[in-house]
Amino acid sequence: MLAYVIRRLFSTLLVMTMVAVFVFLLLHLSPGDPAAIIAGDNATPEAIDGIRLKLGLSDPLPVQFVRWIGHVLQGDLGVSIFSNEPVLKLVGQRLEPTLSLALTTLVVAVTLAISFGVLAAWKAGTWIDRVLMVISVVGFSVPTFVVGYLLIYLFAIELRWLPVQGYTPMNEGLDGWARNLVLPSMALGLAYIALIARITRASMLDVLSEDYIRTAKAKGVADESMLLKHALKNAGVPIVTIIGIGVALLISGVVITETVFNIPGIGRLVVDAIAKRDYPIIQGVILIFSGVYVLVNLLVDLTYTIIDPRIRY
Amino acid sequence: MSTRREILKAATAASALIASPSLVFAQAAPTRARTLRAVMHGDLAAFDPIWTTANMASYHGGLIYDTLFGIDSQYRAQPQMVQSFNISDDRKTYTFVLRDGLRFSSGEAVTAKDCVASIRRWAARDGGGQHMFRRVTDTPVVDEKTFRIVLREPYPLLIDWLAKASTNVCYIMREKEALTDPQTQITEYIGSGPFIYNRTESRQGARYVYDRNPNYVPRSEPASFMAGGKVARMDRVIMENMADPQTQVAALQAGEIDFVEWPSLDLIDTLEKDRNIKLEVMNQSGTMGWCRLNHLHAPFNNVLARRAMLYLTHPTEVMKATFGNEKYYRGCGSIFACNTPTENDANTDWFKGGQNIDRARQLFREAGYDGRPVVILSASNVQHMSNAGLLYQQWLRAAGVNVELVTSDWGGVVARRANRNPPDQGGWNIFFTSASGSAYSNPVSLAGHASNGANAWFGWPTDEKNEQLRDAWAAAATPEERMAAARAMQENAWNYVPHVHYGQWLQPSAMRANLTGMIGMPELAPFWNVGRTG
Repeated sequence: MLAYVIRRLFSTLLVMTMVAVFVFLLLHLSPGDPAAIIAGDNATPEAIDGIRLKLGLSDPLPVQFVRWIGHVLQGDLGVSIFSNEPVLKLVGQRLEPTLSLALTTLVVAVTLAISFGVLAAWKAGTWIDRVLMVISVVGFSVPTFVVGYLLIYLFAIELRWLPVQGYTPMNEGLDGWARNLVLPSMALGLAYIALIARITRASMLDVLSEDYIRTAKAKGVADESMLLKHALKNAGVPIVTIIGIGVALLISGVVITETVFNIPGIGRLVVDAIAKRDYPIIQGVILIFSGVYVLVNLLVDLTYTIIDPRIRY
Repeated sequence: MSTRREILKAATAASALIASPSLVFAQAAPTRARTLRAVMHGDLAAFDPIWTTANMASYHGGLIYDTLFGIDSQYRAQPQMVQSFNISDDRKTYTFVLRDGLRFSSGEAVTAKDCVASIRRWAARDGGGQHMFRRVTDTPVVDEKTFRIVLREPYPLLIDWLAKASTNVCYIMREKEALTDPQTQITEYIGSGPFIYNRTESRQGARYVYDRNPNYVPRSEPASFMAGGKVARMDRVIMENMADPQTQVAALQAGEIDFVEWPSLDLIDTLEKDRNIKLEVMNQSGTMGWCRLNHLHAPFNNVLARRAMLYLTHPTEVMKATFGNEKYYRGCGSIFACNTPTENDANTDWFKGGQNIDRARQLFREAGYDGRPVVILSASNVQHMSNAGLLYQQWLRAAGVNVELVTSDWGGVVARRANRNPPDQGGWNIFFTSASGSAYSNPVSLAGHASNGANAWFGWPTDEKNEQLRDAWAAAATPEERMAAARAMQENAWNYVPHVHYGQWLQPSAMRANLTGMIGMPELAPFWNVGRTG
């Protein structure tokens, strides 16, 4: 097991190196001159040349890459071209809203989705199953931003129950924090719920047709115990896999949801940076998101061994 | 083992602990009624209004800095930080005396040294300032409150430049910041304006917080554009960066924000029906759609091909496609924009005759157009630019010109427009942008009016006569002489055609109906004087 973890961590390093190369080339292969962007409007050619020299943008690419990766390894992701603020500081300021939104969505979505999936499998073929699956098809088909607008219209404009937009930090009150997260979490979570619920249902149906479940039923094991103790645990591997894969969905969804609900998170940070060609921020956020995704998948692989003791690495 | 009651107690205590800092802040933060929340047209990406010409930086500057002079609603320069000034008999020496009681928000007094350093830094970046400083020989400091600007020759525009509201505005900073290299951004934002930038409460890219400056001493005259008393009637102004237009409007309707500078025109009908919302055009000089031509490469290195673009352009089609409602747009044939002090009709027969594709085709033929693709850069995320790209593509094809429409976001256009290479090597032939009518009205300060070759704005036009006429406009001693120079400049411009326009629009702003005192003016969103009823 330890050897497997070390092997996976090593391969994670390889993946992150490839991401780093891609992220570095992003700056250099994109059209336009970063020095001209930094120099601002009406800058003279001499000023642009001066910036290029100062930043070492005229050095050969390999030299620039080694210098950049050296800084990254020391935790220095550079400085925003426009605001002059360190990228790490900007990401740090945006971490709480994004983590709040992502974790709230993850917890609520996984809880609801697994419940729906188990219920649909248990009541397979009944109206309950059909209603849940129709909801999940709709949830997966309607884009997140459309769901967001509909929720805003209903709950914020018409009913006035919840705020349209914004984010209240936790230290300014849990009530405000929660009120601001309800609608975005619902909008972001719907597709995620739909995805996990469908996989849970399919996986549960497979398991429920196994001989040992029939034996358990014949022995008179209660439905609740059979579903949750016997079936769900054995159906767990595909569910955990889809939760892990769904993190990518969550990351892309966060970018859209933060824009629609005006949440000052990392998603908004990167969207604004792309619009302005603030390359250090784009590079930093891609690196961080990639790292998170790779680590989540490593955790998913390790979780398999807990769910299914037969799996050994 | 913990009981449920113990767990609840612990959770309540933890919540109180987490929330406690907010209780402290809540006592200091102004109430919602004394706070103005505004969504502006973009993000405040850079804070130095001298380093960048971005309007958002100038809005930021307008709140925290003051100016020596300010234009009023009649576009006349009025003293602002200046108490009095005089001009020597030979009109080559200007002496300025500052008002009493001027202080920076850091507590230091505003001195003549601060003003001189600020003027010099501004003049290194601004088109008008550069034009003026070619005639400046010295800027001596006389005493704490008095300084001079000494000229080589009389320069009637000097006060106008110090008062202008279009970017770059001559904001007065502390000498410490003003001595920063003009090519480098300042990092501290301390001014003597009606508001103070609250860095602690601000979040880059999300919201920018400004608190009323208790040290500010407003003038006694009523507020008028950048002139008069800048009385902060709100304790706090927050500029929110809200990207989604639908969310902006929903938040305005729900009363979460008070002002949207540029609401999406698709949503204007919705806003017009809401009795809690009012719509006002804040900038009556509007915005000009600007089709910039690259003079370095064929076909637009030939004047006949550039003239063809005048006949090719429909005066209002791009506007109609973008804005729909005719009350928000018009065609305009003046190179200085319409409804501005320099608007005129010299040499505008091409405009009065409307679109003429046949004439454009003939001119392209006379220009020796050889069939090479004309590369158009179009920003898909800016509606008027996107529509302009599609319509110009259609019109050029109708005139027998091959077109390569390169679509990207605006950031992509900005990155590529600086490329001077031929269009097939990463360069371009046409890109679209916009500028306010107010900026257009000034022949000298708008970089796009210069035709000084390699030093000109993107497109790099060259025309010696244009440069002489710009100087003549600047040197004109009377309004009549200045208007005559503007007419001569337009007469010449529509012969050599530096660029073309595809219309002028009036963007309405949306605000809560209970807001009062909002000053509508070009180039700036001044939030002093704004109050709330009810």
